[in-house]
Amino acid sequence: MALIHLTIVTPEGMYFDAEAQRVIVRTTGGDVAILPHHIAYSAALAEKGEARLVEADGRVRRAEVEGGLLHVSNDDVQVITNRFHWKDA
Amino acid sequence: MAGASMKDIKLRIRSVESTMQITKAMQLVASSKLRGARARMEASKPYMKVARTALWDIALHNTGAQSHYVIPREIRQRCYIVIAGDRGLAGSYNANMFKRIEWDSRDAACCVIPIGRKAIEYYSHSPMPIITSVERVEGLSFEACGEIAGRILESYDNGEYDEIVLAYTSFVSVLLQKTKLKPLLPLDTRQAPERTNRQMLCEPDADALLKLFLPQYLAGLIYSAACNSFASEQAARRVAMDSATKNAGDMIEDLSLRYNRARQSSITQELTEIVAGAEH
Repeated sequence: MALIHLTIVTPEGMYFDAEAQRVIVRTTGGDVAILPHHIAYSAALAEKGEARLVEADGRVRRAEVEGGLLHVSNDDVQVITNRFHWKDA
Repeated sequence: MAGASMKDIKLRIRSVESTMQITKAMQLVASSKLRGARARMEASKPYMKVARTALWDIALHNTGAQSHYVIPREIRQRCYIVIAGDRGLAGSYNANMFKRIEWDSRDAACCVIPIGRKAIEYYSHSPMPIITSVERVEGLSFEACGEIAGRILESYDNGEYDEIVLAYTSFVSVLLQKTKLKPLLPLDTRQAPERTNRQMLCEPDADALLKLFLPQYLAGLIYSAACNSFASEQAARRVAMDSATKNAGDMIEDLSLRYNRARQSSITQELTEIVAGAEH
């Protein structure tokens, strides 16, 4: 199965850097889901929003994301945000 | 130099010893702060790498109509963001930075945004006007960097400055730190990665995205420069204090030798006097 490579970074450090099935984030225009084989894409993230990601093994994780940018190219998905924290665990 | 100065030598040894205690303590504090500072610096690296690629993808998105952030202007007014130390006693760390800027700023009218107490002290006595300042480099937050970034972007948009340069000290290793001048605005297209993604979908649109993301990117640059500078400051202080401690040790050794010699010669003199007295 095709996977995306997801990277989540903030200035304070890297929070996620692994393969994933999909990621859903809130952009200024609404929720967006990124699946494998997405076209090159850039979008501004909402000031405050929830992100959900489905890891390679199918586990779903939730997190809070504050502003920043979503950047997709060649199945490399980057969430570049100011503040990030996991809602689970 | 013998007998009479025994007490003086003792006093000097004591004063050098107390100086050595201070330099030793400062060295230990700097080493422990350096550890934290390096960790913070390393943590900021992936963000900068990823953000840089993304920014260039957006900035060079419209090949025809490029944003005014990319096009260089004639430089009449330049603004430096100078990140120096919070404290002195760090070898030539602060002086190197100020000298570098003095050298670099000769060709245009300049103003500064000093970050760090030593930088503020220095520039309040210099002819360059201070726009705004930040008191402490240690623990400088990303939000504070965001405020500076917002402010310089606004002035850049208004045409107040034609170039904005970030001056910081890059941490190479504990023994080597380099002062760096990094132009922030206009964005230097020569620094762009070779392969950028020009065909892509932008939401809302490339210009709006750049307006939104540029302040964050600049804030990230300032933040990571501050992390680098702080680590450099601690490293410079550690090395300076290490050599100061060593010098103090050498001095004590030398003084002890002189003290013993003086003591010995005073004993010899006393003995000679007693013997001379007995012979009478």
